[in-house]
Formats: sequence, C-alpha cells, structure tokens
Amino acid sequence: MSLSLFLLAIPLLALGAVLALVSRSNRASAAVALATQAGAIGLVLAGAGRCLLGGGVLESVWPWPPPINAIAFRVDGLGAFFLAWSLPLTWLGTLYAIGYLRPYFAQGRHGGSHFALLNLIALSFVLVYSVQNALVFLLGWEIAAVAAWLLVIWDYRSQKIRFAGFNYLVSTHVGLFVLVAAFMLLHSKTGSMDFAAFAAFLARPSPTRGTVFLLLGAAFALKSAFFPFHSWLPRAHAAAPAHVSALMSGVIHKAGLFGFLRFTLLMGRPEEWMGWTVLAFGAVSAFSGVLYTSTQRDLKRLLGYSSTENVGIAAMGFGLGYLGWCWGNASLALIGFAAGLLHVFHHAIFKCLSFYAAGAVYQAAHTVDLERLGGLARRLPRTAALFLLGSLAGSALPPLNGLVSEFILYTGLLSGQAPAPEGNVVLVIGAAALAFVGGVSALSTARAFGVAFLGNQRDASLQVGAEAPASMLVPMLCHALLVVVGGLFPQLAIGLGRGSLALFPFALEGNLDVSLAPVGALATASRLLAAALLVLGFVSWWKGRAARRSVTWGCGYTAATARMQYTGSSFSEQLARIFEPYMPVSRRERLPAELFPHSPGQIATHHADAVERRIYEVVARGEDAIVNFSARIPAHSRFAFAAGLFALIVLGALASGGWL
Amino acid sequence: MSASLPLNLLSLLLLPLLLSGWIQRVKALWSGRKGPPLLQPFHDLARLLRKVPVYSSTTTPLFRIGPWFLLATTLGSAALVPLSGARSLASFPFDFVWFAYAWGLGRVCLMLAALDTGSPFEGMGSAREALFSMLLEPVLFLVAAALCLKSGAHSFDAALRELGGAWLLRLCAVLALAIVLQVESARMPVDDPSTHLELTMVHEVMVLDHSGPDLAVVQLASALKLFIGSSLIATLLNPWAASGGLAAVGAQLLLSFAVATGVGTVESLIARLRLRLVPSYIALALGASSVALLLGAWGALQAP
Repeated sequence: MSLSLFLLAIPLLALGAVLALVSRSNRASAAVALATQAGAIGLVLAGAGRCLLGGGVLESVWPWPPPINAIAFRVDGLGAFFLAWSLPLTWLGTLYAIGYLRPYFAQGRHGGSHFALLNLIALSFVLVYSVQNALVFLLGWEIAAVAAWLLVIWDYRSQKIRFAGFNYLVSTHVGLFVLVAAFMLLHSKTGSMDFAAFAAFLARPSPTRGTVFLLLGAAFALKSAFFPFHSWLPRAHAAAPAHVSALMSGVIHKAGLFGFLRFTLLMGRPEEWMGWTVLAFGAVSAFSGVLYTSTQRDLKRLLGYSSTENVGIAAMGFGLGYLGWCWGNASLALIGFAAGLLHVFHHAIFKCLSFYAAGAVYQAAHTVDLERLGGLARRLPRTAALFLLGSLAGSALPPLNGLVSEFILYTGLLSGQAPAPEGNVVLVIGAAALAFVGGVSALSTARAFGVAFLGNQRDASLQVGAEAPASMLVPMLCHALLVVVGGLFPQLAIGLGRGSLALFPFALEGNLDVSLAPVGALATASRLLAAALLVLGFVSWWKGRAARRSVTWGCGYTAATARMQYTGSSFSEQLARIFEPYMPVSRRERLPAELFPHSPGQIATHHADAVERRIYEVVARGEDAIVNFSARIPAHSRFAFAAGLFALIVLGALASGGWL
Repeated sequence: MSASLPLNLLSLLLLPLLLSGWIQRVKALWSGRKGPPLLQPFHDLARLLRKVPVYSSTTTPLFRIGPWFLLATTLGSAALVPLSGARSLASFPFDFVWFAYAWGLGRVCLMLAALDTGSPFEGMGSAREALFSMLLEPVLFLVAAALCLKSGAHSFDAALRELGGAWLLRLCAVLALAIVLQVESARMPVDDPSTHLELTMVHEVMVLDHSGPDLAVVQLASALKLFIGSSLIATLLNPWAASGGLAAVGAQLLLSFAVATGVGTVESLIARLRLRLVPSYIALALGASSVALLLGAWGALQAP
C-alpha cells in the first residue's frame, strides 16, 4: 500500500512536467512544477518515511512485457535517505529558478520546458533510488543526464555554453557506456537484469567481481566528477544557470555515490584492495579538487572544483568503511560509512547555498569573474553573508555542518584500529591529507570571498544591481538554516542516516551511538564556540559603537587605487608556484622591448586543467611521441634495454596473475 | 584533580602576556639594552582597550568582528591544552581535530578582516598567512596522531599523560611543534614581529588597520597562541607531567619560560628567512612529524 503511494509520485511528476510544458505563462508553469513536486515529496515521505527511520523495507514486483519481464521496486533506508533530501532540495532549486530566470522571462523567454525538466530530474530520483532492475535504472539514469544537459544549455544562444553542454553530454555518456558494460558483464553471468540476481553472483569473490567493481567505480566516479574524470564539470558549472549548477553539484551527481553504495550493499563484504583503492581514489580527488579551487577566477568554476574535493572526502569515508568491514571492525566500518553519508548530505546543503549566492552575484553584477568584482559586501550584504556561511561550512570550519562529517572521518582515520602499523600509518597520512585539504580550502574561501566581496570594486565599468528577490532569498535562507542547525545539532543528520547504516550486515555487531560518541562532545564544543562568538561579537559592536571613520592606511602612499589591491591570482600565486607541475599555467606575453618601448606590453596567464590538457596532448601528439621513442630504440642501447625490461615486466605480471 | 582547574585558569589569565613580556626582555638583554618592564604588555593592553577605534570607510562589519572571533577561537582552543601540568580545562576524544579547525576559523576571520580594508599590503599579508598555515596544517595532525598511536589515548591531555617514556618521539614532536609555534605566532625566522617594512611582514601587516580594542584583542590572541604552543612543548618535555602535583606545575612553568627564552634567543640571533624559503622550513616540520608518526606507529607495538 505505502509503496503504491510512493510510486504514485512518478505519474504525478510526469503530469506536472507535461502541464508545465503546455502552460501559457511562466508563472503557471512554475506553480505547477512547485505544486507537483511538493505533492511528490508528500507521497514519497508518506510511503517511505518508515524506511528512513530504520524500520522496514517496501518491496513489490510488477510484471512487464519482455525484455524486462518484471520490474522490482524496493525502497530501503538508503534510497529513503537520498530521497529525503534530494526532493526537497530540488523543490528549493525550482523556487530559486523563478527569481533567477526573471530577467529572461522579462525578455519574453518561455520557461515551461525548464520547469518541466526540473520535474523530470525529481522523477529520475524517485526511479533511480527505488528501482531494482538494471534496465529501468539505466532509464532513470539517462533521464537525469539528458535533463541536466538541457538545463545546462538554458542560455543556448552562446556558443561557449553549447560547447560546455556538449562536453557534459559526451562525458556523461562515456560514463553510461561503462555502466552498461558492467551491467552486461553481470547479465552474462546471471542471465538476469534484476539486482537480486546480481547480488547472488557478487557475493563470492572472483576476477569478474573485481572487474565489475572497477567498471562500476569508473562509471559512478564519472557521474560524481571524481578526479581524473572531472574535466567536464568546471565547464558545465560555469555555463549553467546557478540553480542548475547547485542541483547538479549538490544533488543530481550524488546519484553516482548512491550507485556506489547500492552496489556495495549488493556485493556484501568487499576485499581489502577495494577499500584501499576507494580511499586512495577519494584522497587524490579531494587533494586535486581543492588545489584547483585555489586558482580559479570564475566563482562558479571554483565551486565546481570544490564538488570534486567534497565527493573525494565522502569516498574516503566509504573507503574507510570498506576497510573496517574487511578487518571485521564494525565500529570502524560504521564510522566510515556514516562519515561518507553525512558528508554527501552536508555537501548538498552548503554547496547549493554557495551556488545560489554566486547566482545572486551574477544577477546583480552580470559576471562572476573574481578579478572584476570586489566590495560586493557593501552593496549586497545579505548575499555576502550567505555566501560566506556556505563557504565557511565548505571549509569544514566550526560551528557549521561541514566539520561534523569531516570530524567523524578523522575519528576513524586517527583511531589506530588497523591490524598492522603500516595500515595505521597510511590511515594517518590520509588524515594529514585531509588536514591539508582543509587548509587549502580555507585559503580558497578567504580568497574567493575576500576578493569578490571585500575591498573595493576592481573593474570600475561594472554596474552592480540590487539584492536578489524573495524567491531567491528564501531558498538561500533555508539552506543557511540547515548549515547552522547541522553544525550545532549533528544528531539530527545522523538520525537521517540511521536507516541506511542499519542495512549493512556489520551494523548488527556495532553500536552506532557508541561509535559516534565523540560527535556529541564536538556538538557541545561547537555550541559553546557559537555562544562565545555571539558574546564577543556583541562586545566588538559595543566597543566600536563610538568609532570614527577614516580611510584605509596606505602605508604612507596616498594615491592607492582599487586596481592596486591584491587580486585573486596574486593571492594564490605562491601556492600555484609550489604546485606548478600539478597545475600547469599557460602564459601569453608580449614584453615591452627596448629602452623606450613603442607599444605597451601585455601578459595573460591562465591556469589550465592538467587532466584536460594532458588528454589533448596525448590525443594530439601522443602518436608522435611513441614514434619518436620507438625510432630511438635501435639507435640507443639504453632505450632498447629499457624497452626490453618493460616488456619482460609486463609479461611477468600477466603470467603471475594467471592471465596467460 | 581539583587544583588543576583554578591553576589552568590562572595561567590562562596571566602567563600569555607575561611570556610576551619575557620574550621582549630576553631580546633586550641580547641586544644589550635594559628592556621594558615585564608587565609592559598588560599596560599596553589596558591602554589599547580604553581607546576608541578608527575604521576605514571601505570596511564592513566583518572587519570589526574578525579580531574578536580570533580571540574566541583561540580561547576555546586553549581550553583543550594542558596549560599547567597534567590536565586541560576540557577534553574530549579527538579534540585536537576541533582545535586545529578552531584555529582555522580564527585565521580565516583575521584574513578576511585584512582583505576587508582593500589595502594591497594587507592582501599580501593574508595570502602569505593562508599559504604558510595551509602547508603547516598536516603537521599538527601527524604529531597528534603519533601521540595517539603511541599512547592509545585520543585527546590532547590523555595522550600527553599516557605517553610514557618515548623520548625520541617526544623530541621529534617538539621540533615539529616548535616550527608550528614560530609560524603560528608570527615569530622569527618565519616572520619578523618588530620590523617596520610592511613588504616583509606576514602577520603584522594583516593588522595594520586595526586600532584600539581591536588591536589589543589581536595582540592578546597572538600571545595566547604563543602560550598554547609553548605549553604543548613544555608538557612534552616535562618529565613529571603525568604525575600532576607541585613538581609538574613548577616544571611546566619553568619549561614555558625556557621555551619563551628560546624564542627570544632565536629572534635575536637569526635573521628572517627569505619568504621563498619558508615552505622548505615548514617541510622540515613535516619531516620531523612524519618521523614522530613512524615512531608512534611502531612504538605502539612494543608498549607494555
């Protein structure tokens, strides 16, 4: 009964999409989308509320014509957890769209298709998070991908945006092919497309299981934009409307992590190498993503790279969970998976807030280029405060929600519970990497906020408009509230994840409350800190109420201009120099010649994405490099020796692995 | 331990500024001057607190709040560190994670307050501060993890108490923490607190525009950070730290002053490093803390 209630959300959302598409006015489209999404949230929560709070599973099988034969639906704690925040956040994004797209509507653009697509995104969530059949899963996956692509190219008249959209479309379908390959492999072994049949096969370790794990991992990593599969992401985020970027980064692409967890549940107890792989992969992703945030000059690109960082952190949690599971350490496994799940949720909340605030900046200033902005906090104080809150939470600073999940991850990494000292050392190095990520993230936050919102406006030609309208402000305020509440009362979010964690077999042996006990103390510390901040903030106001106003001290120089301020590039220049091999810089310069130059010199630097650049290098010049190398083999004995040795090693590895 | 609470509070109130005064005295002695009275920092603080601040018209409320938030986070983190021997005011499992992130919050607030003025110098200062602290961030975690692995405890004061002998580990940790102390509290050879050339500063240039009570608060927070760092080092070197009691308190006090003497001596005898070399200097701390980690991980096997 309650599952039918749940599944009623699908036709309701589809109906809403159709009505939104055919309504005459934008207002009516928006109202229909909001109403049907609200109805769907109600139906889903009425149906799956029980699963969320840890009790029970909804299951049913529908007969269907071949080749599908039967579609199994199953809503458990994991699906309910993802739905419980995905759908409401999509609703808030739809609300934000009304205000954000208003300038386009004023020019006569019809927004019906946009709202219809937002409804389809919600529909794909209901489908993907509940269905147990690989074909229908792929259908939901594809609906989300295509709808997201169409949402990205809302401003399709710009060639740049069409290119970014196309780039995304291709990347996401490369991921789809890999996913299809994995499902085909499973189908060939089981003769079924049903997840239950997959589970029976995956329960036993085999080389095929390892291959499927790697294939699925790659597909889900592409969806969630892990390094090095992320190169589509900064483009797409910079091109899309702010709410689409927010939903893609915070909500839609979490489907990749959901897929990973769903597959983990099907697989059962993993092998140890899988845990280390996921942990290392997550750490590399977090490290690379955060380094790239520090050099971006487009605010939305910066936030996009930060998603790569944050999914990496979540994956570190899952990797830790895998390891704990392998070692038979239920407490460590619970800590790892809890950290990952909570980080997925918390990231959705603070990242959407940052993107929404960036959208408000774009609407007011028509650019999100850091080097042109400056001093926005005096013009847009509300947007500034909200952006600051979102990015502080993103840097995991207390007392906000980002710290909670990272703290749980630290308690696992630093607990010293690996069976061997080598394991402990590697886990601690993971924690140190996480600390480094936090440090770079703090630098990025200070840079992004400080350059865009503080100081003086760098480009005098920029006309900054008014604050965002209520329809944009309300979603931002909701997110801001969740960011603060999540930080001060972390038990609420842990409660949401309880049902998902109970699904894992090791949950029976461990006690979640005992494993996460340090979080209670963290919450107390954060609350005390929040109180201290309030008190001292008040003292600061009290002490400064009689203050005089003057100019900024120019160190004796009286003709300082806004152009002399530190820019975003100069802020991260030293960091970029240290990590130059990792973050290649392309320079175009024409330096002034002679003592009395006739023409002015110019210099332009641009931090390119290493992965994208290397891929193009390999595609464009890889053949030449190989030809050059092989041409040198006969001539130089050193090269011949090295090539021979390499061939021997490869053959040896293949032979010892039983592949020959 | 009933005596530890008032003792900790008392040292938290008195020692930070006293140690700053002591460092000034040490530096004066090295340069052959008599130096200001030991209590001069208290007078300075009182004088600044009475003044009315001046704000640049470029700034937003963030500029006013920044220093006070820095003070709040520093005070909060001071509660987690054993200040007068064995016990800290408060402790919970993995409190050092919270400690590091609270410092991070204070630092970000100060950097934003600096950027708020729109001054190129202050932007420069905050960029340097952000870079150095970012490179330094893993060091504290490596040291704390080494202590935790060796002792089997999970909070600052418990790990320090149950560390046992492990003198090699302690020395590596002390070396790493000494560099952390120099960077975080803006001391030589990383930063020159007494220079008058803005281009060469890191920390001081960030607070050029702060005046009156705000400046007082920044200076107090700096002194507190120095005190927290020297307390950690002193506890690591204090052979009686685990026992508590009068010997522990006395040794702690003497060692804190010894650390301050060391800071003052280094400042008098060594020139500031070129800014490009600071990352390498921080890498030294990273190396020392990695050695500490290895010692901790394998030392835990031999622990009784």
